[in-house]
Amino acid sequence: MSNKSRRILFTLLSLTLLIAMALPGLATAQDPTQITFWHAMSGSRGEVVQAIVDSFNEANPDVNLVAEFTGSYAETLTKALTAYSAGEAPNIVQVYEVGTRTMLDSGAIVPVMEVSGGELDQSQFVEPILNYYAIDDELRCMPFNSSTAMLYYNKDMFEAAGLDPEVPPATFSELYEMGQQIIETGVAPNVISFGWPAWILEQMYAMHDQMLANEDNGRGGLATETYWNSEFGVQVLTEWQKWAQDDILFYGGREYSANDPFIASEFAMLVQSTSSLGGIQRAVEFDLGTAFLPTLDGYERNGNNVVGGGCLWTMAGKQDAEYDAVWRFFQHLSSVEQDIFWHKGTGYFPATNAAVDALEAEGWFEENPNFRTAFDQILAGNDTIAARGVLLGDFVIIRDVVGAAIEDAVVNGVDPQQALDVATEESNQILEDYASLIE
Amino acid sequence: MNTVFPNRILPYLLLAPSVILVLVFFIYPAAQSVELSLYRVNRVRDVQVYVGLENFERLFHSDSYINSLTVSAKFTVAVVVAALTISLALAVGASLPIRGFGVYRTLLIWTYALSPAIAGVIWALLTDPAIGVLTDLLKAIGVNFNWRQSPDDALIFLVMAATWKILGYDILFFLAGLKNIPHDVLEAAALDGANSWTRFWRMVLPLLRPTLLFLLIMNTLYASFETFGLIDITTQGGPGRATNLLIYELYQDGFKSSSRIGLASAQSLVLLAIVATLTFIQYRFISRRTFYQ
Repeated sequence: MSNKSRRILFTLLSLTLLIAMALPGLATAQDPTQITFWHAMSGSRGEVVQAIVDSFNEANPDVNLVAEFTGSYAETLTKALTAYSAGEAPNIVQVYEVGTRTMLDSGAIVPVMEVSGGELDQSQFVEPILNYYAIDDELRCMPFNSSTAMLYYNKDMFEAAGLDPEVPPATFSELYEMGQQIIETGVAPNVISFGWPAWILEQMYAMHDQMLANEDNGRGGLATETYWNSEFGVQVLTEWQKWAQDDILFYGGREYSANDPFIASEFAMLVQSTSSLGGIQRAVEFDLGTAFLPTLDGYERNGNNVVGGGCLWTMAGKQDAEYDAVWRFFQHLSSVEQDIFWHKGTGYFPATNAAVDALEAEGWFEENPNFRTAFDQILAGNDTIAARGVLLGDFVIIRDVVGAAIEDAVVNGVDPQQALDVATEESNQILEDYASLIE
Repeated sequence: MNTVFPNRILPYLLLAPSVILVLVFFIYPAAQSVELSLYRVNRVRDVQVYVGLENFERLFHSDSYINSLTVSAKFTVAVVVAALTISLALAVGASLPIRGFGVYRTLLIWTYALSPAIAGVIWALLTDPAIGVLTDLLKAIGVNFNWRQSPDDALIFLVMAATWKILGYDILFFLAGLKNIPHDVLEAAALDGANSWTRFWRMVLPLLRPTLLFLLIMNTLYASFETFGLIDITTQGGPGRATNLLIYELYQDGFKSSSRIGLASAQSLVLLAIVATLTFIQYRFISRRTFYQ
């Protein structure tokens, strides 16, 4: 080999080496930041989430957000916390309202205000939503899917039973009387069913301005005592038991299983999350009406309906670039366009005031009065501590305890006072266990 | 007869994969359970407080746990008896030399391929209190079946689904057991004038004892440990606590709360002790009267 060709070879080799050395740098500069988002939205809700995620990724080519359905709310919460202990937490996790206290005390999260570097404008959110997730007036997670419970009813069946389809029951006793008429006229063998019965009981406490736990409903500190067996609670459950014994209440399970028979006109009314509205409205063949939850006789609607649904929590222990990407996703999520898309696709509340205004302006609520009901309802009462809803440690399992108590009374015929005494005792024990490991 | 391996290390190497699997996935977690059962733990915050035997004491003073024990006992007995009886009858039927028995056998084993959760979904749909096909059929003959509104129906429902799911497994083993019974013995008995009923009770059943013993133990294990998915997807322990089996109670304390993993560990040890005792009793009781060929 001649000197010349040697020199050429050497130059080529050096060049190759240089390029090779530069490559990893180039690669990192162009590789999008990977962030993960675990959620509990299945079915049509999951598709809407994915559409929002896709639009975010499209608008932000330097970020790759991967959304993953990780099972029910309870499963998603458990998985995220377990993954955190193992150092494999997602960046964002959707946690239902029940998990709020657990997330706050977990030490596994970064408050959303910190994620935003103080840029988050809290006043953009609809007030009752802000009130639920703000602790000491500061939002800890990004409000996402908020809902409350309302009454759905089948106007055709009301008409068939000789009832005015435009006048749904406003109180428990009206509901009972209308129910009897529906049964007596042979329109349906049962009248009403509930989704999430334990949550409905919580709703009852909030909208009648009744406290559910000490320490300012768990908002002033760790609650250690619950009031499930208060006079009010026992009264509500006694009514429900009476409805069940008189065939008015058809017990429909702890989550969404009552929706299908309602859609199939097996009974005339359903108390369910407002987030089911989209799905129910698309599926029914009858004239669908919605109304506020009926009040217990002798009490007034003093409080708001408590906000349920989910909030997006940011997990701790990640890179700065990832937090930046998370914050950009949160901004995307709360943009008017995405917020409206989310609301129309699912029935969950629009989270921001700007989205509500835009929906008003385009006449959406006028065309879709059922979407308005839910919204009016959370604004109908006064903002009180009781109405903001209770926060409990390990609320996930407490809700099961209360769910079992409701079933014991409604289905198994156990005395409501006794069922709620048991639930209260067990809840307090759970809170004691929880508190003993926090302080 | 002793097989002599020329290489002294090879046998250990061959054993290693299974030994490692057992150590990592069974022995290590079990040892951890023993440790955890003595503590009160918050698994997220990594806080641990030693409480001695408090977790066990609490269990036996808890009405809800005692209820789970009773419900589990009823459930396990019902599933084991129903599954063994039905599968034996079906296996005997399927072992007869009838036309197309190969197809029958394959179909009968099918349920084994499903997970308990899937079995739950199928049965929940079939017997849905409002829209289930089977519910409508039952209503037509005057039976009101609603597992959401009746604690008894709920337990019956779970027993049905759980039994149905294990049938395939039991039939598979019964068929194998039946095949091993020497034909000439039965033929001789038939010639001696024993009718088919006598042949079944006096010869087939005693000869099947090893299989029966094995399945008895396996079905007990199945009913105690593997029915979690089925419950979680259908009754979730309800109505009330009517179907809150031990395994489900354990799951709720262990996974749905952040501070009760110690209590859940204690439950898993108690459950292990119960099942181990049952297995031991079954083994002693039946093997004494089992004659292997």
